[in-house]
Amino acid sequence: MNEKLIFSTTPHMHTARTVRGSMLHVLLALLPAVFCSLYFFGVPALMVLCVSVASCVAVEWFVTKYMLRRQATIGDCSAVLTGVLLALNLPSNLPLWMVAAGAIMAIGIAKMAFGGLGCNIFNPALVGRVFLLISFPVAMTSWPLPDAAFGSADGMTGATILSMVKLGNMEPASIPSSDMIWGSMGGSMGEVSAAALLLGFVYLLVVRIIKWHIPVAIVAGLALVDILAGYPVVFDIFSGGLLLGAIFMATDYATSPMTGRGMLLYGLFIGIITASIRRWGAYPEGMSFAILIMNGFTPLINRYMHPRRFSPKQRKEVMA
Amino acid sequence: MRNTFKIGGIHPSANKTASRRLELLPLPKKAYLPLSQHIGAPATPIVAKGDKVVRGQLIAENSSFVSAGLHAPISGTVSGIENVVLPWGKPSKAIVITASDDEHSADTEAREAYWRDMIPSVCDRTLSERLSGDDIRSAILRAGIVGLGGATFPSHVKLAVKPEQKAEVLIINGCECEPYLMCDDALMCTYPGRIAEGVELMLKAAGIPKAVIAMEDNKPEAAAAIGEALKGNTSVSLRILKTKYPQGGEKQLVEAVTGRRIPSGKLPLSVGAVVNNVATAFAVWQAVATSQPLIERVVTVTGDIPETQRKNYVVALGTPLAELPFTLPAEALAIAGGPMMGRSAVRLDAPVMKGTSGLTILSRPSKRKVEACMRCGACVDACPMGLEPYLLSTYGRLRMWSEAAGADVLDCLECGACSYSCPASRPLLDYIRVAKQRAK
Repeated sequence: MNEKLIFSTTPHMHTARTVRGSMLHVLLALLPAVFCSLYFFGVPALMVLCVSVASCVAVEWFVTKYMLRRQATIGDCSAVLTGVLLALNLPSNLPLWMVAAGAIMAIGIAKMAFGGLGCNIFNPALVGRVFLLISFPVAMTSWPLPDAAFGSADGMTGATILSMVKLGNMEPASIPSSDMIWGSMGGSMGEVSAAALLLGFVYLLVVRIIKWHIPVAIVAGLALVDILAGYPVVFDIFSGGLLLGAIFMATDYATSPMTGRGMLLYGLFIGIITASIRRWGAYPEGMSFAILIMNGFTPLINRYMHPRRFSPKQRKEVMA
Repeated sequence: MRNTFKIGGIHPSANKTASRRLELLPLPKKAYLPLSQHIGAPATPIVAKGDKVVRGQLIAENSSFVSAGLHAPISGTVSGIENVVLPWGKPSKAIVITASDDEHSADTEAREAYWRDMIPSVCDRTLSERLSGDDIRSAILRAGIVGLGGATFPSHVKLAVKPEQKAEVLIINGCECEPYLMCDDALMCTYPGRIAEGVELMLKAAGIPKAVIAMEDNKPEAAAAIGEALKGNTSVSLRILKTKYPQGGEKQLVEAVTGRRIPSGKLPLSVGAVVNNVATAFAVWQAVATSQPLIERVVTVTGDIPETQRKNYVVALGTPLAELPFTLPAEALAIAGGPMMGRSAVRLDAPVMKGTSGLTILSRPSKRKVEACMRCGACVDACPMGLEPYLLSTYGRLRMWSEAAGADVLDCLECGACSYSCPASRPLLDYIRVAKQRAK
């Protein structure tokens, strides 16, 4: 036979979806939130974003090339995504060297030291953020108030509404809900506009990048604690990093459970822990900690929360 | 709301673009008949080198209950019982028959008359009433019929149902969920009435009260044809299912039709069902009503070849794949069957066998790089058995056989939905297959 025939094992067809494509979908879903943060916080926000993305990609490239001596993996765009997520979790007036330090922590320690994409236990962007929060608490908690004007780096700074409420300086009911939905309030770059985040959520659901389980379970867990504690639920959902965390951080593939049932349990506990920290903890915001804590439980959840089998085994057969 | 199976499943693009018109592929001058074209013991040759055989004559008989006989697809001389190479490169003992020009033209004439005149004209609706179940089963056994959907399980065994097994429904699989393939579709569009008669014969053979012909909602022409043929039929009905791969999987199909789940490691009979393919039903009708044993089958030739070449042929068993008319693209992937479960064919001089439902030619697929698992869970969502392919393939890769067995690797039906859905292009099924073999 003269024909050149290729050999391949089944299946010979593949989905059009790729790792890079999945990352690009999430980046696309983040665009509204990115635009909002640039609109509200101006040039400083753009600087933070650029430095964060550039450092994340640079760190991953450096580690794969000179430390692991592997083929570069930056082409999968996961480092770009981590960079954008890290930036959205930072205040726009954070010194840029701190942003770079956070990126080194996120990619170098939380991701690459564990073996790269898919092997990390904790969400890299959140590890970066929490590292900065603990190391530089003042810089990380004085937020510029958004005034929709570019070049307003010298504008007012202040605490987020969550911390003002916590300190008793403000009543939750006194905040106009339109501000929270559209984003005219203080906070990290990506957490100010609920509408932009929800738009991204809808997009991710439509293109089937994420499932509804985790975000919905987080909101349910939070609402549960709030109702028991007699706290305004809607205010709690739309404030702080809850939506950003629930939609984009907690749903990170590598650090969240594999099955729907596992995702519900994981999300429920993130909601409960977040609300508990907000109500009774030392910090005004608990989303990052809650997600990282549950990241740690993900392997355990995967071990015990299996998918529904087509044909469940009889107990006797399992023993045999 | 149309039914489908509940867990997992994928929606690969169907690419069912071949013509539904059946064409007779010219008989080969030389036919190669591997003795093992079915599940079970290989057939025992009853002819020797130099013997004259005529078309339809038994040339190898079933050696045990779970086995199937072979018939000469062409008249000619047995030129040897030798090793031939199967499409996927494995050698196998086969009977080789060579026809002279006279024999070839006589066969061709008889065959054309059979398809042109005999099949449409035979009209004996009382067959299934006149014959006993035993008669029909022995006719099926004598005709060497096996499951033509691809599993090639001997049909007389499947239809030997004891009354105490309480079979309630015969499900006739017309799903053809495999992308590209259209051989069942073409057959249903062309011979719906004959299929229905074959189903009634099978009901009688197995002593089952009713049958359901199940197909997916992507075959409206076949559905209309079968629906028309079943008008007024009280024992056979048509069921349209929502298209999803792998609906044609036995367990998935039984669940989609009856709502019952076959327990792990059990046969459909354990929930009162028997599953057979539509092409098998047609072969049963041919054997009983026209006395033609299984010597030809419908084969789809499709894929990345000119559209006019994408056709469904009636092909004599033993015809070399290379005699199917198609232009092979430079560097092609030839698949014996469809792209999800069909095996990669490396030799086109290998013969068409009882289980060859198609030849799918794919031009060199774009090279996908295998990347690290990002734990997206797409494979878990896709698995129709509710398994965790990412975990099973890791067990396979790390040689953790007992852990794989503990995670139910033996439930895997090798449909390939996991590998298909993996964004990182990981060869999940390859590792799972290894684990499956070791876990047994």
